[in-house]
Amino acid sequence: MKIDVQHLAKLSRLHISEEQVAKFEMQMQEILGMVDNLPELSSEDCLIDPQNPMTCRPDIPQNNYKRDDILKNAPQVQAGCVVVPKVIE
Amino acid sequence: MELYQLTASELAQMLRNKECSSEEITKSVLNRIKETEDRVGSYVTITEETALEQAKVVDARLAAGEALSPLAGIPISVKDNICTKGIRTTCSSKMLSNFEPPYNATVIEKLSAQEAVIIGKLNMDEFAMGSSCETSYFKKTRNPHSLDHVPGGSSGGSAAAVAAGETILSLGSDTGGSIRLPASYCGVIGLKPTYGSVSRYGLVAFASSLDQIGPFARSVEDISMLYSAICGMDPLDATTARREYPDFQKDLSNADLKGLRIGIPKEYFSDGVSTEVKEKVLAAAKLLEENGAVLKEVSLPSTGYALSAYYVISSAEASSNLARFDGVKYGYRTENYSNLIEMYENTRSEGFGDEVKRRILLGTFVLSSGYYDAYYKRAKLLQKQIQQEFADTFEECDLLLTPTGTDTAFKMGEKTDDPLKMYANDICTVTVNIAGLPAISLPCGEDASGLPIGMQLIAPKFAEQILFNVSRKYETLVGGLNKVAVL
Repeated sequence: MKIDVQHLAKLSRLHISEEQVAKFEMQMQEILGMVDNLPELSSEDCLIDPQNPMTCRPDIPQNNYKRDDILKNAPQVQAGCVVVPKVIE
Repeated sequence: MELYQLTASELAQMLRNKECSSEEITKSVLNRIKETEDRVGSYVTITEETALEQAKVVDARLAAGEALSPLAGIPISVKDNICTKGIRTTCSSKMLSNFEPPYNATVIEKLSAQEAVIIGKLNMDEFAMGSSCETSYFKKTRNPHSLDHVPGGSSGGSAAAVAAGETILSLGSDTGGSIRLPASYCGVIGLKPTYGSVSRYGLVAFASSLDQIGPFARSVEDISMLYSAICGMDPLDATTARREYPDFQKDLSNADLKGLRIGIPKEYFSDGVSTEVKEKVLAAAKLLEENGAVLKEVSLPSTGYALSAYYVISSAEASSNLARFDGVKYGYRTENYSNLIEMYENTRSEGFGDEVKRRILLGTFVLSSGYYDAYYKRAKLLQKQIQQEFADTFEECDLLLTPTGTDTAFKMGEKTDDPLKMYANDICTVTVNIAGLPAISLPCGEDASGLPIGMQLIAPKFAEQILFNVSRKYETLVGGLNKVAVL
């Protein structure tokens, strides 16, 4: 099977150089080759663990963090806001 | 005997007997780090100052005659994908090289509540993707038992630090074997707890349905102490189970092995496993048998497919989880961009290493339209089948015993260019994550060149106590497992 690494890279927001494309494609082919050996199984419900039904916690707002503490890690900040390039042309 | 060579339970006793102070213990560990760290390279960040402050707080409480928590004053180091408030948490990636979390992971809150002394943050494969600790952006950690060999991964720093005496206890995380494999390679004990028993809140997500935080130590009692401290339901992690946990140390006994049924799954002793590893692991099984256990050959037929299912599921979840790293709110941002898309693409291309990119691409592929059914859905169905096979096997035995790794530690650089070879290291460990079970890796001897060999005990969900009790019995039978590498 042909894997279009450049298309996947575009979907993943990654640049992959031409020499890396060949290497990645070969390595991914090998990994997927391994997956192709998986047996065919028939079953519908496979996602929920009946022994551990998860519940969401109540949606109560909590004042845990100060804006400045959160923004300390942002690469570019101005006037208490995160700065990004123009989003809408 | 230096303090850094002792176990947490021995040190806790000495503290209470006033035979030493937490400051002395902490200094002993910090001095050991100064002597050995340039050769081992376990740490990304060392928090010497805050560690000594914390130690003094414990000493003052001790002097005032106050009661202490079990881990009070004991040095613990933490894998660098577990968030520590105000202490850089990098995931050993350029992407997070300057990230200082504004909050603590739940496990860190629990350790702080016990007044444990945090010594620093430990090196790992980038975003926990790897089996050798070689994909770290910062440095390569070396195996303390042989410095030209890998410590295993992805929690390589966590295992190496405990083995080298550069800490007393450590935390790692295990998605496909990332605690057990390095424990095996470095000759220490590592526990991958039942999925849902330890909160993942504040653990940087790799594959959320498989990730689990767990302890490293040099004695079984220490492992049970640290596990007791971190397990439990957490409202901040919806996947943690609502249940009560026993007092693991109170019930920690030299198990009566009489009649204990230990399953030996034949698929885990295939040709892919080295002869020396097989011999040592089976010798350990024999020792348990001589002391009353009953060995039963069992079969888990889907084992051979587990690695494929693992790479599909974990890569799919990773591609989704790592989409958040975009250079906007935190982490690395490229300097080369003229528009938003270019900023995303250059940030991610410069911030992630090759192994991370490979898995994001693979995950994007298996989740993409037209391939989802062929790969992701098939893998999830296989997961269900593997879970059922384990459940059936635990009808006829109490525990399973297998090798942890297929071989002892390999040489640095030996497998870096061949992902399939690298992935094959995890063949004995991934099934446990896929089935959500608890498993412990214990040292069970050495190969001809003196490198440690590990065996793995696997139990039914939430049966950590039986793992601890049988491990403790084994530890007693072999005269102890606490061994600090000579460096």
